Amino acid sequence: MITKKGKPLEKIGLDAAVKIAEKGTHCGMCRIDFLGTGLCPSGKKHGFLAYWPQGRMELVKHLNEGQIKPTAKLLEIANSCTLCGICDKQCNFATQLRPEKVARALKDYVDTLDTKDLQVVPKDDILRGLCEIVGENWATNDPVIIASYVRSIIPPDAELNYYIVMPETTEQVAQIIKFANTKNIPFLPRSGGTALSVATPTILSNATSLEHGIVIDLLRLKKLEVHPESSSAIVGAGVTSFELQNAASKQKLRANVAEAGAHVCANIATTGVVTTWGNAYGCFADNFIDLELVDMEGNIKHHRDIDISNPYTTDHEFTNISLSPSYVITEAAVKLFPVFDDEDAVFVPFDNLEDALDMVLLLGKRGVGLSVAVLSYKYLAEFICPTPQIAKDFEDICKNYIKLRYVVDVICNKDDKKIVEELAEYTIDHAMLKNMILGSPKLASLKESEFMKILAEEQNPLKAIFAGPMRVHFEKGLDASPEQLAKVYDADLQDFFRKVYAKPEMSDVVWLHAFRILPSRLMRQRMTMGPGGAVWAGDKDHILKWVRMFADVGDKYHLEHALGFISPLDAGKFIYIEYDYFYDHNDPEVASRISKTLLETTEKSLVLGGVFTLINYLFKGIYRKEHVLYPLMKGLTKEEQMMFREVLHSILGEFEEW
Amino acid sequence: MVKFLSDEWIALGKQYMLEQLDPEKDMKHITTSILMIIEHVPPHDTTMNFYLELKEGKVNDFTVNTGATFTEKEAVFIIRGNYGTYKDILQGTLGTALALLKNRLALKGSKMEALKIIKPIDGVIESLRKITDEF
Repeated sequence: MITKKGKPLEKIGLDAAVKIAEKGTHCGMCRIDFLGTGLCPSGKKHGFLAYWPQGRMELVKHLNEGQIKPTAKLLEIANSCTLCGICDKQCNFATQLRPEKVARALKDYVDTLDTKDLQVVPKDDILRGLCEIVGENWATNDPVIIASYVRSIIPPDAELNYYIVMPETTEQVAQIIKFANTKNIPFLPRSGGTALSVATPTILSNATSLEHGIVIDLLRLKKLEVHPESSSAIVGAGVTSFELQNAASKQKLRANVAEAGAHVCANIATTGVVTTWGNAYGCFADNFIDLELVDMEGNIKHHRDIDISNPYTTDHEFTNISLSPSYVITEAAVKLFPVFDDEDAVFVPFDNLEDALDMVLLLGKRGVGLSVAVLSYKYLAEFICPTPQIAKDFEDICKNYIKLRYVVDVICNKDDKKIVEELAEYTIDHAMLKNMILGSPKLASLKESEFMKILAEEQNPLKAIFAGPMRVHFEKGLDASPEQLAKVYDADLQDFFRKVYAKPEMSDVVWLHAFRILPSRLMRQRMTMGPGGAVWAGDKDHILKWVRMFADVGDKYHLEHALGFISPLDAGKFIYIEYDYFYDHNDPEVASRISKTLLETTEKSLVLGGVFTLINYLFKGIYRKEHVLYPLMKGLTKEEQMMFREVLHSILGEFEEW
Repeated sequence: MVKFLSDEWIALGKQYMLEQLDPEKDMKHITTSILMIIEHVPPHDTTMNFYLELKEGKVNDFTVNTGATFTEKEAVFIIRGNYGTYKDILQGTLGTALALLKNRLALKGSKMEALKIIKPIDGVIESLRKITDEF
């Protein structure tokens, strides 16, 4: 194999490729064009996950472990990669990984194969039936392709007796479901797969994955229409948040969406759209106007249908748990919101949560801001910093030197900005935020510097750095520029990243909040589990008690943890909290502690009462908030607590086994 | 060889439940009734209905019929699922509670109350598993 310049490329063994692949977390950023590089040509053409960088990384692990035998499809997958380098640029931005090396290893590996030795995968009746529905190219039972779906819908220890099918229309989805029922085969839809990949290393793996059967990959349902006259859009199940936001922004509109790689319809189905923009734009079922869905019998339904059963029915018991969707959303009509010319970002720094919470509750009730949240320093560090090490050093500086523990993060128009500035003693403005993004490597390098030591001695380091005389020196010292930032990347990618960071949007905090490409960094080379939920805004002590509980359990299980965000919703009447635990998804011992943490925080939340937890809102995204949150459950009685444990044990196994 | 849903299987299942299940230890003295509807039963894609009534942990009634409707008895719980799901449960690859929470089984009745009787019902399934060796 040679480079474009004619130099021979270094051979990469499967072992080396696996080391890269193991760090992948199925963030899905390689399936969206968020850096203007275009998309992986192979993935775009063939669709199945195995043809995308993310899928190749998964399947090499199985190949290396001998869990799959080479088939003709493996050759096609390996050779379909043109080594264009797009994946390295995309993945490096989010995770600092080099998936192209994995693709090269795969090419080197298939070069050693004798085509006579390839495993032949015969078609069976099920596959023939699926091919009749979607066409020959879009259904498969090839174990090589199936292996690429492991960890993002198929559990790691499963036998690969699955079918993968990629329908293009709602009608095809309906036919597949009817066919699966007639053949008595279970099925599960897959969109981005990221939520499933978060659950996979934990005890929830078998509970949320498909144990065998048909994976319905919805990527090909790509319908996307923006209707500026009605400020709405029609979105197919294969459309990501980034793609919708991109289309909306061309009409000077904005969608209220999840992280860039999340699929809009799946997000509606799974957790409902709950974002920092929720107070202004709405949450849960506020975000869609109509849905097209296919029920478990294969019937196509719309929310506008007169005879549809009430989709908002719910009960308020803790047993109201769903671990899979009871419908497949194939299309959604969603609301869009105007983008104003005077939008700006303003952050208010705090050294404690209580004061930050006071401000965010007040802003929520007064309806100030378009996007409002309390973020912990860890969130800020992960988002802003280009590498994990820089993020770690940045965190250290925030925590131990400048005492920046929380920020109230507000995206707003000019008038609201004035209100925030009047409420706060000092703020971090857009110019400073831009400098912090582009200057993050320099800032991180100041750890243990004399400057930081002097700053830490100040009575109020935050004020000194953001409002005092030290601000000028601080900003100057950051030496913020695309050139400086690009230097942290591998030598061959520095020129590319210099150009990327020179684009105004890459340091435009408003754009970054809307397009949400930075949260993928929470999953760089390790996993993040973020339980939480909704709670009424009226009882601050209750909120703080709940947050402290998450922290205490994190400490108990020796996990890296931090508050994710707190955002007001529904005119500040309630707030949403995400609390994050970070862990190495390849370490079973840590995964076991995460499992215990997840279950213990859920139980403690239910016992605490007055909260709406992750386990109760999962796969109920289409519910209207009024039905789910009025009333919030009271704390479990002792008898109910025992029952909760029994239910969990019957689903997940005994606690000691976790 | 006893085939799932055959006449022999139904007779044996009833006998096993009556003779082998301990009303206290296995069935926790529960009193309830469940109608299990099994859809897409091969080879003719039919629907079968199992009505199970328990009184103080003892099997009081076990009625089986074939057809899309079952109006003979009114059950506290109605659990609907396809043949494949019931097969997975009987083969032990899928738990009853998990099948409910994964929407593989549709429940009519209180989920809270249904989950309370999961353990005894698992006992019934375990006994049926012992007599089933063909699908």
